[in-house]
Amino acid sequence: MKWRGSLTAMLALAIMLAGTMVGLGGQASAQDAADRPVLRLGVNAADLATLDPHYASGTQDRTVVDMIFNGLVRYAPGNSAEMEPDLATEIPTPEMADGKQVWTFTLRDDVTCQAGPDTDAYPLTADDVVYSLQKSANVDRSAYAGDYAGMTVEKVDDHTVKITMDEPLSPTLFLPKVANYAGGFIVCSKAVEAMGDDAFKTHPVGTGPFAFESYTSQNSVVLTANDDYFRGAPKLGGVEVRYMPDPSSRELGMQSGELDVIAGVNEAPWVERINSDGQFQADVFGVAEAVWVNFNVTAAPLDNPKVREALALAISRDEHAALRGEPVSELIYSVVPAQEMPGGLTKEEAEAAGVLYEQDIERARQLMAEAGYPDGFSMDLVTSEMSDYRANYEVLQAELAEIGVTINLNVVDHATMHEQIRNDVNPIVIYVAFRPNANVYLTNFFDSASIVVTGSAPNANFSHYSGIDDLIEKARTETDPEAQAEIWKEANIQILKDLAAYPLYMQNLVYARSPRVDYGHELKSSLALYPQITEQTTINAG
Amino acid sequence: MARHIVRRLLLAIPTLLAVFTIIFFIVRVAPGDPAVAALGDYASADAVAALREKMGLNAPLWQQYLTFLGDLARGDLGRSLISQKPVSEQIGFVLPYTLELTAAAILVGLALGIPTGVLTAIRRNSAIDYIGRVFSLLGLSFPAFYLGILLMFFFAVKLGLFPAVGSAPFSRPLENLHYLVLPALTLGLIETAYIAHMTRSVMLSVLSDDYVRTARAKGLRERVVLLRHALRAALIPIVSLVGIFAISLIGSSVLVEEVFARPGLGKLMVGATKQKDYTTLQSIMVIYALIIVIINLVVDIIYTFVDPRVRYS
Repeated sequence: MKWRGSLTAMLALAIMLAGTMVGLGGQASAQDAADRPVLRLGVNAADLATLDPHYASGTQDRTVVDMIFNGLVRYAPGNSAEMEPDLATEIPTPEMADGKQVWTFTLRDDVTCQAGPDTDAYPLTADDVVYSLQKSANVDRSAYAGDYAGMTVEKVDDHTVKITMDEPLSPTLFLPKVANYAGGFIVCSKAVEAMGDDAFKTHPVGTGPFAFESYTSQNSVVLTANDDYFRGAPKLGGVEVRYMPDPSSRELGMQSGELDVIAGVNEAPWVERINSDGQFQADVFGVAEAVWVNFNVTAAPLDNPKVREALALAISRDEHAALRGEPVSELIYSVVPAQEMPGGLTKEEAEAAGVLYEQDIERARQLMAEAGYPDGFSMDLVTSEMSDYRANYEVLQAELAEIGVTINLNVVDHATMHEQIRNDVNPIVIYVAFRPNANVYLTNFFDSASIVVTGSAPNANFSHYSGIDDLIEKARTETDPEAQAEIWKEANIQILKDLAAYPLYMQNLVYARSPRVDYGHELKSSLALYPQITEQTTINAG
Repeated sequence: MARHIVRRLLLAIPTLLAVFTIIFFIVRVAPGDPAVAALGDYASADAVAALREKMGLNAPLWQQYLTFLGDLARGDLGRSLISQKPVSEQIGFVLPYTLELTAAAILVGLALGIPTGVLTAIRRNSAIDYIGRVFSLLGLSFPAFYLGILLMFFFAVKLGLFPAVGSAPFSRPLENLHYLVLPALTLGLIETAYIAHMTRSVMLSVLSDDYVRTARAKGLRERVVLLRHALRAALIPIVSLVGIFAISLIGSSVLVEEVFARPGLGKLMVGATKQKDYTTLQSIMVIYALIIVIINLVVDIIYTFVDPRVRYS
């Protein structure tokens, strides 16, 4: 039958088409023979949001700006507990003048601002530093303006900058403002002025080891080595940051050899699986996000301390931490994680202060009865669809059901949850966050000025708590770091005594890499929220 | 024909206007604040308020609506609330990737689906038929993202024939095609199942029609009966189906775009939804509405070629 021949021919054509496409493989896989390798990094995002470091808040954006920009000082790569000079020659000791605190920074004289789309490369001077910190303080040009209130920045000469604080601060609180994080990143003034703030969001220009080369929407950002970098030319030829929101795709991309480093899955079984076959290395590191429960101390029935204590005693930290598993999750005993920063409470300290609140269902039921709720009560709560939030709310729902409290969960998208909890819809808020120091944790979440909706500067005080305002202020103005940490501990104990919050666990970051990748530093913690690619990072020959 | 096209285009105007209005209000009625989404949870209320003002979100809704319609009439899709880049630039960049993927998937679906459907119809209840139907059923019930991951695993990780993730620009056409193969196969194999299933059903119906029996009785060769008479008649509902597939593929390609980390309209829409980027979101939906109108028009025109009974005057 001849028609059968035609059908066969059509099938053959289809197969030939596929075959032709297969044949193209050799051409596409041919790579440029660059002298230095380009590191390909798969990040967990569909696209960038902004590369203006003074707005960058998403992990994917912090990753890129970390490679392009510097601060006056920096967190040591891979170890955010250590601070060292960056654009400055040394970390200065502050002086007092007319009741104000003065920090004088001497700038390195070998720092070059990268070339921008409309500007040539030029030596960085104090003008750039003044311009940059003033931009950070401008609410119309920065998301972090609030951190720079009460700060005056002046140029002394081309390589000297004087920063005057209206109120003296300890190094713990001052140095992060001028470090390589958020508003502390120094931008190149001539480049920003030449292209404007909007263009700068997708074409950043800084002084770091890598320079922006190109951005392809939803696909990648390509950075090239800045061979004029003041710490020396990078060992890598560049970095390609690829936006890949699907974890399976990132893993398959690494397995097929198309990616060298990927954002992993923050779950212990994933870490174990990646490390089990020896082909790849999964790294678990800080900085970790703290996860805790906020109780609105002014809303009935949570305004009754016995009810809050009953809820706290119904909760099991271990159950929540098991959502991630060790070593990804670690238990915490105050909202400020003691493992990460000064001012947090260890288990022993919490126990000594009588604020451990380990799970005790019988005692919780007894407290509910004493508070007048022997049959419990019900409440509606909004949660994000993100598993960090939703899974914790679901565990909480099951825990509180044990003492008769019914939680009705309304799942919404993540941005909507943030909007709604800031409109005070939840009497109980589970929050997942990293903040760079104890002061920011306590101020954002527990200072009365930060009370959502009704506070004088509403932020994220979902508990409507006002019990530690004096301690926050006292710690903020304490210039001795050790004494300051003790005051923060006192504040944390008070929060727990009043049960404005119940700390659960902190969750570390997880990345995986080809064993050929050498970051060039030990990886303990990174405020940039990725393993940090520096001029020392390299890919060894396989 | 020309009058028919013009009439259809004119009729599309009130439809599109209604769609644009619904789109404008739906994206704003949904809860969530673009300024909060853009700045993250660390930003202060002052910073959020400043950004809202900058984004123009404090203007009355009616004013925003009139601005939207006015801009649209001038062909201006506005600027992304998040990146401040022109939306037309963003859509212009990703749309060719989505159209390329859709076209390739339909090509794969037609190239494999029609022969399979015809073969299983003329070999009804044979082993070939049963095998074809099982594969159709598998295709119909297989989630695209899962098939994508399986194809990536075998063809990229195990065999190393194709790249697992990413895309290449159109300026490098061979490389671009190389990146297209696995995503196109993922969607195309699923379309193959639909088209084969449909083709088989239609062919079975046509083969029992009187005119086919007459053609055979006249002594025409079986190949002529099948290809010139039966298949041509069967193509009419298939063409209509391909139009519907094209529309649904453009929408459903988002999963494949996510899995293969390819740029695309669906992926852009998901990102804009997460970030509450109203201007980008409403512009993408406007483009979707336009594409649907155009595809329906093209299907109408193709009808006139495959079915001589259809003539527009």
